[in-house]
Amino acid sequence: MDGTLVAELSASLSPDRVHNDHLEQVLYGRDASLMRGDAGVVCFPLTTAEVQACVRAALRHDRAIVPRGSGTGLAGGAVPLEQPLLIVTTKMTGIEVDLDNRVVWVQPGVINLDLTRHLKPLGFHFAPDPSSQQSCSLGGNVANNSGGPHCLAYGVTSAHVVAIEVVLPNGELAVLGGLGADPAGVDLRGAFVGSEGCMGIATRIAVRLTPNPPAVATLLADFVEPAQAAAAVSAIIAAGVVPAAIEMMDQRITQAVEAFVGAGYPTDAGAIVLVEVDGLPGGVAFETEKVREVCMAQGARSVRVAADEAERMLLWKGRKTAFGAVARVKPNYYLHDTVVPRTKLLDVLRQVYAIADRHDLIVMNVFHAGDGNLHPLLVFDAREPGILDRVHAAGEEIVRASLEAGGVLSGEHGIGLEKQPFMALQFTQPDLDAQARLRDAFDPDGRCNPAKVLPAGSRCGDLAHLDAHHRERLLADGVWV
Amino acid sequence: MKLPLVEDELASCVSCGLCLPHCPTFRVTGEERYSPRGRIEAIRQVHVGNQPADASFVDMMDTCLQCRGCETACPSGVPFGHLMEAARQGLNEQTRYQPWYRRVGYRTLAYHRALVIGSRALALVQRSGLVPSRRLGLPDRLPLRVPALRPQTVASGAARVWLHTGCVMDAWQRDVHAAALAVIGATGTAVTLPERIHGAGCCGALATHAGLVGVARAQAEATMRSFPGEDPVLVDSAGCGAQLKDLGHLLGTDEASHFSTRVRDIHEWIAEHLDRLPDGVGPRRTVSVAVQDPCHLRHVQRAHLSVRRVLAPYLDLVELDDEGLCCGAGGAYSVLQPELAGDIRTRKLESIARSGATLVASANPGCSLHLAAAGLTVRHPVQLLAEALGLVDG
Repeated sequence: MDGTLVAELSASLSPDRVHNDHLEQVLYGRDASLMRGDAGVVCFPLTTAEVQACVRAALRHDRAIVPRGSGTGLAGGAVPLEQPLLIVTTKMTGIEVDLDNRVVWVQPGVINLDLTRHLKPLGFHFAPDPSSQQSCSLGGNVANNSGGPHCLAYGVTSAHVVAIEVVLPNGELAVLGGLGADPAGVDLRGAFVGSEGCMGIATRIAVRLTPNPPAVATLLADFVEPAQAAAAVSAIIAAGVVPAAIEMMDQRITQAVEAFVGAGYPTDAGAIVLVEVDGLPGGVAFETEKVREVCMAQGARSVRVAADEAERMLLWKGRKTAFGAVARVKPNYYLHDTVVPRTKLLDVLRQVYAIADRHDLIVMNVFHAGDGNLHPLLVFDAREPGILDRVHAAGEEIVRASLEAGGVLSGEHGIGLEKQPFMALQFTQPDLDAQARLRDAFDPDGRCNPAKVLPAGSRCGDLAHLDAHHRERLLADGVWV
Repeated sequence: MKLPLVEDELASCVSCGLCLPHCPTFRVTGEERYSPRGRIEAIRQVHVGNQPADASFVDMMDTCLQCRGCETACPSGVPFGHLMEAARQGLNEQTRYQPWYRRVGYRTLAYHRALVIGSRALALVQRSGLVPSRRLGLPDRLPLRVPALRPQTVASGAARVWLHTGCVMDAWQRDVHAAALAVIGATGTAVTLPERIHGAGCCGALATHAGLVGVARAQAEATMRSFPGEDPVLVDSAGCGAQLKDLGHLLGTDEASHFSTRVRDIHEWIAEHLDRLPDGVGPRRTVSVAVQDPCHLRHVQRAHLSVRRVLAPYLDLVELDDEGLCCGAGGAYSVLQPELAGDIRTRKLESIARSGATLVASANPGCSLHLAAAGLTVRHPVQLLAEALGLVDG
């Protein structure tokens, strides 16, 4: 039944970049989350024109489309439902540096860390650095408005994207934003960043070049109690220092990561805090001393400053590979990425431990402490009967606790498929309706990454005919692995 | 199809995708089917999900280089090599995965005399210009004569080591072994060459990678027996060293595990005996040398730093900027998957070009042949060392 669609796509792209193989479609049914869907034809465009051809072919055949980058998303944002046309951007890896405008234009498949490496000889980098930066794509970063440890000082993806060329859900081309200081009109660029593939496909993205800091220092502070660590985080900010990054890891995650990285993390610490300060050498030296003093005053057992670049990279490698390293404890993990006010960090953290205990689950905490972005990892073995129900129940309680503390649902991973049911906890019906109408302005027929982000029934008018059976069906059909 | 794998090993992949950029076939295709995560998911689907082991599945398995760069990158410690070997073993046992001529080919590697004679015959035909050498993955000029290896005479009572000479390498690159003998001799250590036991010679690495476990076990067993006693077994081929260090897993015996503890990559051993080497002779080379890490030295043995320790006192070394991504050789891979192997090599060539080096050091015969076929000057680190020490002519 996909015969003519495949033929048309093959003619527009090339036959070797249009795949209709069953096993391959099963592989594309997943991203890095626990959700599973059902991919239709998979195509690999190289150019903007080819993406347009894909979108138009889907339109002619009344197929939904789902854009996908590296598939490292944790919320099921790239999980295809009901066999849509999957538009995979991994072969779109062009990079054009425009030093005069201090931007770089990239195609969406460029890997985050590849971009930073490409810019290194020029003295620049791309600031948002999600933990998956070695694998995740710029298109995915734009879709999820990704953050990362260094977003504390530098801001998340939205602060770095100045213009986006977008293939709209009807196949037309638009450029949102611009290279000028304040492009005219409504800031549609701002609306598009973080829209999780629901408003079209970014085909060229202009991001700011961030100069590499002349000096960097990374500190590792070691605390007996997580409470001391949390207090130190607030105290650092209160002391007037805004470090490039402040990350916190609890004992369990520290132990799991140390087994992989061997960075010399103290495995007997109740919590460790990783702080990075950067800037001019004099300022870095001053702030390093300040951070050390504050940490010691909050009861740190020791504060270690990375002696060289190799040690610094090793300290970061531990933090950035933390999620994968949990498999050394149990083969599956499930996490939320709620954000809570920094002052409530300790309180919510205590509740997270209590919730996990109540459900007889292991929880490990690693998070962007500086901006209160939690990543409580519930680790488990999915082969254990009934455990998924406990994991979901605990996950929901963690979300509720975070929201009650004045937090938000997602800091950077996106809503995708996974956190959709929680949207109603955070937003009222008018809020959801407003968001749905913005989305409709881009995608009136709901073709682009349908059934993601906004729960069905977000629009005031469609409560009746979509809500119950649509969502029920999606989540009941073994969407969870 | 049930595959002969350990299910806990299969379950250890959390699908995070951090392996993707470290996989050479994903790097050049961007396709999930050619990534470690995709291949593991495919294995899972076939093993527990009742998907058929169809041509698409075989293609996903066949296109894997088994470089194991994904293992170095994997925070979860997924033993990808085991899973891939098990998948291929299962295909062999339950389908006609490896055609008869390939099975014969892998078996032939154990018949060393035939291999050397065959190679000489091929060398003669090659001189006639009738053999498309590069397409077949052959060296441009196969040696017509392979000089006998003569360990140096050292003081009586000196420590002894074995040198594993292997199969194809001994036929095509015996000059590397000669350089190895010279360097080991220069440390005042005596070398014994393996006993020519029937069936010994090939360590079985290529058969292991092809999933021909029976052939691999027989070859490994015979090779192990050709190194009696307790002296260390030095290996100057990264792929063979990786295999011989892991015989406990392949053969499942205490004897094999113990044997593996005797196996050292030659650079590891030389690095520990650097103080016994003489000073370099003659003017220092003016060109810098790019160190190409064979995957089975870097990702499997994790002994690649010793190559630098051994060469750095004598030569100016430059590092490549590709994080040890495979060169595309992969044992027999460059012959079986020439297109992907070529694309992967192109990335390596670009990285070498960026380094500015005109000479490449590679500690594995497959890599050096594959890179030399692209026109690069490639030498084994032991050869470069022997030349710098004035032990052999450069």
